[in-house]
Amino acid sequence: MNINKTKWMIFGVAVIVAGCATYPDQATTKLMAEKMVYDAFTFAPEHKKRLDQDRSQQICSKIGDAKLTNEEAAEVVKLARASIKYPASGNLVGNWKEGDKLAHNGAGDRIRNGKVEKRKENGALCQNCHALAPGEINVGNVGPSLTGYGKQRGNSEAIAKYTYEKIYNAWVVFPCSNMPRLGATGHLTPEQITHMVAFLIDPQSPINK
Amino acid sequence: MEIMRGAGFTAGVMLLVTLSLPAAAQNDLSVGRKMLVEDNPGELWIDQGKDLYYQKRGPKKASLEQCDFGMGPGKLEGAAARLPRYFADTDRVEDLESRLLTCMSTLQGFDKNEVAKKAISSPRSRGSDIEALALFITSKSNGMKVNVTLSHQKEYDAYKAGEYLFYRRSGQTDFSCDQCHGEANKRIRLQDLLHMTSAAGAQEVASTWPAYRGAHYVVRTMQWRLNDCVWQMRLPDLKYGTDYSIALTTFLNRRGNDAVIQVPGFKR
Repeated sequence: MNINKTKWMIFGVAVIVAGCATYPDQATTKLMAEKMVYDAFTFAPEHKKRLDQDRSQQICSKIGDAKLTNEEAAEVVKLARASIKYPASGNLVGNWKEGDKLAHNGAGDRIRNGKVEKRKENGALCQNCHALAPGEINVGNVGPSLTGYGKQRGNSEAIAKYTYEKIYNAWVVFPCSNMPRLGATGHLTPEQITHMVAFLIDPQSPINK
Repeated sequence: MEIMRGAGFTAGVMLLVTLSLPAAAQNDLSVGRKMLVEDNPGELWIDQGKDLYYQKRGPKKASLEQCDFGMGPGKLEGAAARLPRYFADTDRVEDLESRLLTCMSTLQGFDKNEVAKKAISSPRSRGSDIEALALFITSKSNGMKVNVTLSHQKEYDAYKAGEYLFYRRSGQTDFSCDQCHGEANKRIRLQDLLHMTSAAGAQEVASTWPAYRGAHYVVRTMQWRLNDCVWQMRLPDLKYGTDYSIALTTFLNRRGNDAVIQVPGFKR
């Protein structure tokens, strides 16, 4: 190999190195971004789980317009099904008045300056995203309206069970939907969820007026 | 005084009226907001930031005039419009706020951690140095278009990482940014959510921070916005000026290219 040729090769390599800046591939991106997550937060050891993704969250973090495959959707549903626990009492329909309060409570468990917001219990966050009682103004629209939920569906045992499971782990019905898996992630207790069920299906509840 | 009161009253009534009309919320709220923007109290922070920029401060008794925001030392016009970008001296992609941290420590000798600790001010306070500086420097791009370019490998990396993080769900709410900001015309209670995966939504992000936050009576920065989001998401405390924030900001600002910068923005 003559000197001239070597020179050109070195030049060529330099051009490729300088000229090939481009988007990193998926695996590299994931590696970099995951490191960023753990570098970015200060957290007590018991709060690391708020950053760690479980299998379902990994599947449900599709980028852009990427779609869930049928296999992925089935896996998320299966994991959701396995996650559901029922209240010790066995009674899935609690007190709608308690549920009403919880539905309008968006607080609990937020962390600021290392301190966890301690309340008697976590709010159920419903009002943030769902229309609730008829005429109620201060409600979000990220999720579907729940106005008349029980009026439309009745309050049979089957509906109570469906509703309980949907709140406990929404992904059992709609894999990867926007709705938090409120029971499965531990945000709400099974007992709290029975109150939410009552709020939704009890004919006396403002939702059904 | 009477006139100002009148304007404030009208704006207040507009907001009240729109609060009771969610169906028409979109248009009426924006009218009310526009009225408020015309008298943006955040303007007051620009001069405060200007003073801080030129004052000789810190253990090294230096001003920030030698700070390079990407267009060369002391060149502020249009600099914020191109951030975040790669900086050779730190071998890192930096957004405006992390770049300010860099210069305040290297040029002025401030302790980075101390500055970061005070970077986000308390509501109803006079605001932090960084908040005022970030506003002053961004105001030097007012009327110019956001123009974040990707050329260095680390800029491409930051963009892609930001995109990944935008969609990364975790924690007890299962939220990523996308749950609230991935669709048009959505609200949390009555609060409009920006549709950040659309060009228009990303453009609003890229061109309106720092902004005067009405409810807090202070100027807030993009870093504050991210902090408040992760707080609602129930994530732990987000540190100031991390690659996580810079990556998300790179992703959003890049997608917000061509928006005309007008700061301070006004947020409820």
